[in-house]
Amino acid sequence: MSQSFNQLPEELQLATSAHVKCIQSLDSRKDEYDYWLTEHLRLNGLYWGLTALHLLGKPDALPRAETIDFVLSCQHESGGFGAAPGHDAHMLSTVSAVQILATVDAFDELETRGKGKAQVGQYIANLQNRETGTFAGDEWGEEDTRFLYGAFNALSLLGLLDLVDVDKAVNHVAACANFDGGYGVSPGAESHSGQIFTCVAALTIAGRQDLVDKERLGRWLSERQIAGGGLNGRPEKKEDVCYSWWVLSSLEMIGKTHWIDKDQLAAFILRCQDPERGGISDRPGDMVDVWHTVFGLAGLSLLQYPGLQPVDEVYCMPKSTTARVLG
Amino acid sequence: MADQGGSQHGIARTSRVRTDEQRQRDLDRIAKYRDLEDQVRALTAKGEYTPAVFQLTSKLLRLNPEYYTIWNARRRCLISGSFSRPSAGSSCSRASSTTSPTATTAASSTSYSSSSSATTPPARSSPTAGKSGTTADPTSDTPETDESAAADTDTAATAAAEAETRDLSVLKTELAFTIPLLLDSPKCYWIWSYRLWLLQQAIARLRPAVARGVWEEELGLASKMLGKDRRNFHAWGYRRHVVAQLESAALRGRSMVEPEFAYTDKMIRTDLSNFSAWHSRSRLIPRLLDERGADAAARRAFLDNELQQIREALNVGPEDQSLWYYHQFLVLNLVAPDKHPAMTPDFTREDRVAYLTREIDEIKELVEDYDDVKLIYEALFEYTVYYCQLEERQPEPSERAGLVVWLGKLRELDPMRNGRWADLEREYNLKD
Repeated sequence: MSQSFNQLPEELQLATSAHVKCIQSLDSRKDEYDYWLTEHLRLNGLYWGLTALHLLGKPDALPRAETIDFVLSCQHESGGFGAAPGHDAHMLSTVSAVQILATVDAFDELETRGKGKAQVGQYIANLQNRETGTFAGDEWGEEDTRFLYGAFNALSLLGLLDLVDVDKAVNHVAACANFDGGYGVSPGAESHSGQIFTCVAALTIAGRQDLVDKERLGRWLSERQIAGGGLNGRPEKKEDVCYSWWVLSSLEMIGKTHWIDKDQLAAFILRCQDPERGGISDRPGDMVDVWHTVFGLAGLSLLQYPGLQPVDEVYCMPKSTTARVLG
Repeated sequence: MADQGGSQHGIARTSRVRTDEQRQRDLDRIAKYRDLEDQVRALTAKGEYTPAVFQLTSKLLRLNPEYYTIWNARRRCLISGSFSRPSAGSSCSRASSTTSPTATTAASSTSYSSSSSATTPPARSSPTAGKSGTTADPTSDTPETDESAAADTDTAATAAAEAETRDLSVLKTELAFTIPLLLDSPKCYWIWSYRLWLLQQAIARLRPAVARGVWEEELGLASKMLGKDRRNFHAWGYRRHVVAQLESAALRGRSMVEPEFAYTDKMIRTDLSNFSAWHSRSRLIPRLLDERGADAAARRAFLDNELQQIREALNVGPEDQSLWYYHQFLVLNLVAPDKHPAMTPDFTREDRVAYLTREIDEIKELVEDYDDVKLIYEALFEYTVYYCQLEERQPEPSERAGLVVWLGKLRELDPMRNGRWADLEREYNLKD
C-alpha cells in the first residue's frame, strides 16, 4: 500500500503541517460568527481536533492542561458533560469528554478534580431504556443507535460496561438489522452507513459480532464506493469524506476492507484537502471543517497512509490510547 | 461521534479573508447573538423559566436551531408555565388549575435546574404517564358528601376542559413555531426531537381523541418534507414513528399498514430509484399480508405482482442499485425464508426453485440488452449460487462455466471491488 501512496502526485500528498495549524487555530476564531453558532459542538470539536492531531503524530499540539480544564468545566453534578460550560449534559458530549480524557491519559484528574468515573458511568447508565435496551441522548428522551454506541464506547473506556444491560442493548441492535445486512437508527429504519458503524461497533464492544451478516453487510458497504473513489452513505446518494470513516471502519471491523479500492479512496480524501490552509471537506473544493478533517484522516489511517498513526476502528481514537486504556 | 450538526456540507470553499466591513458585520452579529445567550443564561441559572425567557429562546432558536440547551430551556418554560399543571384533574391539583401562564413558581422550576439530569428522564416513563389528568375519574373516590362531591366533579370537569383547551393551544403554537425552522434545516436532529417531545406531551395531556387530531396532522408534515427531499431519513423515521403512534392504543388507533403501503407505491411511482420507499415497502409487506389474512394463493399472487413490478423497473434501469436491493429482498424470501420474513411460507422447495429459475432466466435476457452493467452479472452469480444451495448440490459444469464467465465480467466492469471478486473466486473454487 504505502508504495503506491508514495507515487501520488505532489498535490495529493498529505498536507500535514497545514492540517496541524488549521486545527490549532480553531479556538482562535472568536471573531467569526460560526464559532459561536457551533458552541453546542465544542466538546465534540475538541475530540475531533485532538484525535486528528494524534493521528497526525502531533499529540502535543494542543496544551494538555488547558484541554483537561476545559473538559472538566463542562461537567454537571449528574456526572454528564455539556458541549461547553452552560450547556446541558448530553450523551454525545459526555462520550467526547471521556474519549478526550482517555486520549490525554487524564482519568485520574476526573477522579480528583471532576465528579469521578463512577458518576459519569451512572449518568450514562441512567439513559438506558430498561425495557428496550436502547439509549436516550439525554433526559428528554430522543433514542437512536448513535447513543447506544456512545454509551458502550464511553462505558467500556471507563471499565463500567457492567452498569448497563448489555444483552438487552445487543438485542435492540439486532432488531435494527435489515435484509440488506445493514442497520438503521431504530428497528424498521433504513440502513445507513453512519448507523451501521454505530451498530457494528457496539456489537464488537459487546463481543457479539456473530450477530452480523458479514457477507451481506460487506457487499452493501463495498457498493458505497462510487466512480471517483469516494464513498456514499446509502444507495444512490452522493459521496462524502465522512463516509470514509463510517463505511471503511465498518468494513475493517468485519474484515472486508479489501473489498473496495483503497488507493482510489485515499486519492479522493486527499483531493478534499485544502493544501494551503489545511483541513478536509466533504467533497473536493468545498469548505473544510474539523469534522470532515478527523474522519478523512482516520480513513487515511485505516488505509495505512504513511506517516499517520494507527486508528482504532471501533473507537475512532488512536490505537495507542485504546491499547493503553483497554489493556 | 456521529453528529452532522455544525459541519459543512456542500458549501464551496472560499478565501477566509474578510473585508473590514464584513468583519465588522460579523462582530455585530456575534454581539447580538451573545447578548441573547447571556440573557437566557442569566435567567435560567436562577431557575427562571418565565415568558421572558421563552421569548428569548424563540429569538435564539431562529438564529441557531442546533442549540439543544435552548430547546431544553424552552421545554422547561412550557412545563413550568405555559402548560396546565401536569395532572390537572387529579385531586391535588385542583387548587392550582387556574395558574396563569406567568406564574412560574420557584418550586416547579428547581426540579429542572440544569444540573439535575440524574432524575428520572420524563420520556423514560410510559408515554401515558401523567395522563390521569383530563377525565376527572378519581373524583368518585373522594371522601366527601355526595353534594359537595357532585359540585366538585363539575368544577373539576370545567377545570380539566379549560386545561385541555389551553394545552392544545400551546402545543399547536409550538408545533407551528418549528415549521419554518424545519424547512430551513430539514436534517437538524434537535428540531425533529423537540417536535416529537411536543407530540408526546399531547398524549400525556390531552384526551386520546384530541391528541389523535394533533398527531394526524403530522402525516401531512412528513409527506411535505419527503416531497422536498425524498430520501430524508429524518422524515422517513418521523413518519414511521407517527404511524406507530397513530396505530397505538394510546391514541385509540388501528393498523395503517394499507395506507402506508399505498404511500410507498406513490413514492416509487414518482421515483423508481427511491430506495427509502423500497425499504419501507420491505418492512410493511409481512404485516400487510398477515393483516389481509392472505391465503397461499393470495400470497403467491402478491409475490408475482411484486416480481413483475421490479422486473419492469429493471428493464429500464438495470444500473440502479435500489431496484436490485429490492429484487434481492424478494429473492431472499424464496431462498432463506427462515432468516428473512417469509411472504410465501407455504411454498414447497419446488415452488422456490421454479420461481428462482424464472428470475435467473429473466435476468439472462437482460444481458442481451445490457451487456455492460455489472449489477446484472452480480445477480446472476448470486442467484445461481442460491439455486444450487436450494437444491443442496454443487454447481453443474455448465453452471460453473457461467459463474466463471460472470466473474470475469465483474472483474472487467468493476475493478474497484476486485478484492471481493477474488474472494468469490476462492470461495466457489473457480480458479482453473
